[in-house]
Amino acid sequence: MKPLSSDPAARRQTEDLVRAVALTTMFGERTVLDGVDLAVRRGEVFVIMGPSGCGKTTLLRNLCGLLPPTLGSVSVAGHDLYSASPELLQHLRLRTGLSFQGGALLGNLSVLDNVALPLRENTDLPEAVIVETARMKLDMVGLLHASMSMPSALSGGMRKRAALARAIALDPDIVYFDEPSSGLDPVTAAEVDNLIAKLNKVFGITMIVVTHDLPSAYAIADRILVLLDGKVAAMGARDHVWMDTNARLRDFIERRRPAEDSRGMDVISHLEV
Amino acid sequence: MSHPTITATATLDRSTVGILVAEFEREMRTKPKRVCVDLGAVESFDSAGLGAVVSSMKAANEAGVEIKLKGLSQPMLDFFSLVSVHRLVMPSLPVVRPGAVVRLGAVVEPMVDGALAVLRTARDTFRELVLGTLRGQFLRLDRTAIEVDHCAAGALAIIALIAFMLGMVLAMQAYVQLRVWGCEVYVADMVGVAVIAEIGPLMTAIVLAARSGSRNAAQLGAMVVSEEIAALEQMGIRPLSFLVAPKVVACAYGALALTIVFDVVGMCGGAAFAWGFAGIELGAFAEQLRQALTLEDFVVALAKSTTFGAAVGLVGCALGLRVQDGSEGVGRATTNSVVLSIFLVIVIDALFVTWQRMAR
Repeated sequence: MKPLSSDPAARRQTEDLVRAVALTTMFGERTVLDGVDLAVRRGEVFVIMGPSGCGKTTLLRNLCGLLPPTLGSVSVAGHDLYSASPELLQHLRLRTGLSFQGGALLGNLSVLDNVALPLRENTDLPEAVIVETARMKLDMVGLLHASMSMPSALSGGMRKRAALARAIALDPDIVYFDEPSSGLDPVTAAEVDNLIAKLNKVFGITMIVVTHDLPSAYAIADRILVLLDGKVAAMGARDHVWMDTNARLRDFIERRRPAEDSRGMDVISHLEV
Repeated sequence: MSHPTITATATLDRSTVGILVAEFEREMRTKPKRVCVDLGAVESFDSAGLGAVVSSMKAANEAGVEIKLKGLSQPMLDFFSLVSVHRLVMPSLPVVRPGAVVRLGAVVEPMVDGALAVLRTARDTFRELVLGTLRGQFLRLDRTAIEVDHCAAGALAIIALIAFMLGMVLAMQAYVQLRVWGCEVYVADMVGVAVIAEIGPLMTAIVLAARSGSRNAAQLGAMVVSEEIAALEQMGIRPLSFLVAPKVVACAYGALALTIVFDVVGMCGGAAFAWGFAGIELGAFAEQLRQALTLEDFVVALAKSTTFGAAVGLVGCALGLRVQDGSEGVGRATTNSVVLSIFLVIVIDALFVTWQRMAR
């Protein structure tokens, strides 16, 4: 594993760390993603936004190697993810972390053991160092006091934070987040946002965040991709996307029901006057 | 007075922490009052490297040795700004080993809890079926039919296969013993009594526990974990009448139906061996069976089998509904449901045999 550079700024280059080309994913006859192209630069916070059911989580699973696309390709650090040898794929996986929406903590391990698991399985560090490294990660996410608790005893927000601690256990180059602030109260959601921003700033970790939480997206993003119905509606610098004049994008950003959605209106045509 | 200083190398990461840890342990053996860790030469580091530093600080703290860091670069200070070193190096609380009584209680309590849960579920299901019917809330036949399809129809092939093979094996074992005395025809008595009275109900219950009891425990356990049971209750739908009663009735009915299949196919297996290898005419085999078995044997065996089925259904549902601790709890409930079901089946069998053969 490549060590963290002592100068995170040096790692902020403009090279594309993750690229997707003409990504199309179908479930049966249903096209969930339709020709998505994107490039994530090293060291940036890249937010994938869109309404529920637009294909955000599918795109994230395509990008992190969990779900092969029907068509198109995904490359990480120049290596094609879905044609990589098992050894290369394992190497790429060790350089990435994934924070699942529900946490996905192993129920039979304590919180500390969950965070220590990737270190125990993938390194030959002394046990005392593994434990202290895991405790440091838990302290970063404010869960040191719950290190000996079992996942079933944690609240939803605590599970998300424990999952984040586990995702950064191996000092990855890229961390993928699936809805990191959904279901959290505004204070905890802001804490998670701050943590993502801090980890990006201090370690230079590339963050790819899927969310439909607009304040959260605006707070953390360097660049934003907006997905609508499985297609890229906009992609670019945060403020540029926020000012985009695309009508459907404006509906989403300004939290309006799309004009073509006739719910609540078409009953009028059936009224007798 | 000079104090020992440990100097970290230019790279402080997981490939080099062993050097730092070994050097620190060597210095600690000299029992110094103060140790200094010089990080000034570090050019690159990772979390494991700083984890080793914190681990050393904690060990020194616990041994009463003062430890100082020097030469921290800005990136290191940025890293440490995300954690509280004071909190990390606080000595861990000693682990108190529980006493023998507490340990024994930890083993016995879940068993007692499980048994009580099964009894409570049995009582509530019985109430639901009897009192519910009196109140006009009948058993949900649509859901019961789905469960019967899984319990009985789904297990038909495996039950028939096991029954035929076991019938042949029993006949073979009996034939080897009986031919010494020249009374091979009694093979039919042996196969008939063994299959009808014991093997049929027992094997059916064991297959049912492995297939349907475990399925019920896992399904209901997963529903508890994903809050589906809570959602049903919140919607005013009683899980007992919606889920448990159909499963228990289906298991009882499934056990009854499968035992009849087992008995018939098992005796066919015995007859096949007797006719094919032992030279016993099928007519003589059937006549011998008619003499050896009474209607009471059938009735008791079927009553026994129905009780086994109900017990398997109740155990699976009771353990599934009290799942805790997520997926780990689901796995535990599934295993325990099979073990407890088989144990309970043997206990019920012993009670039936005592009543049938000894008490009368």
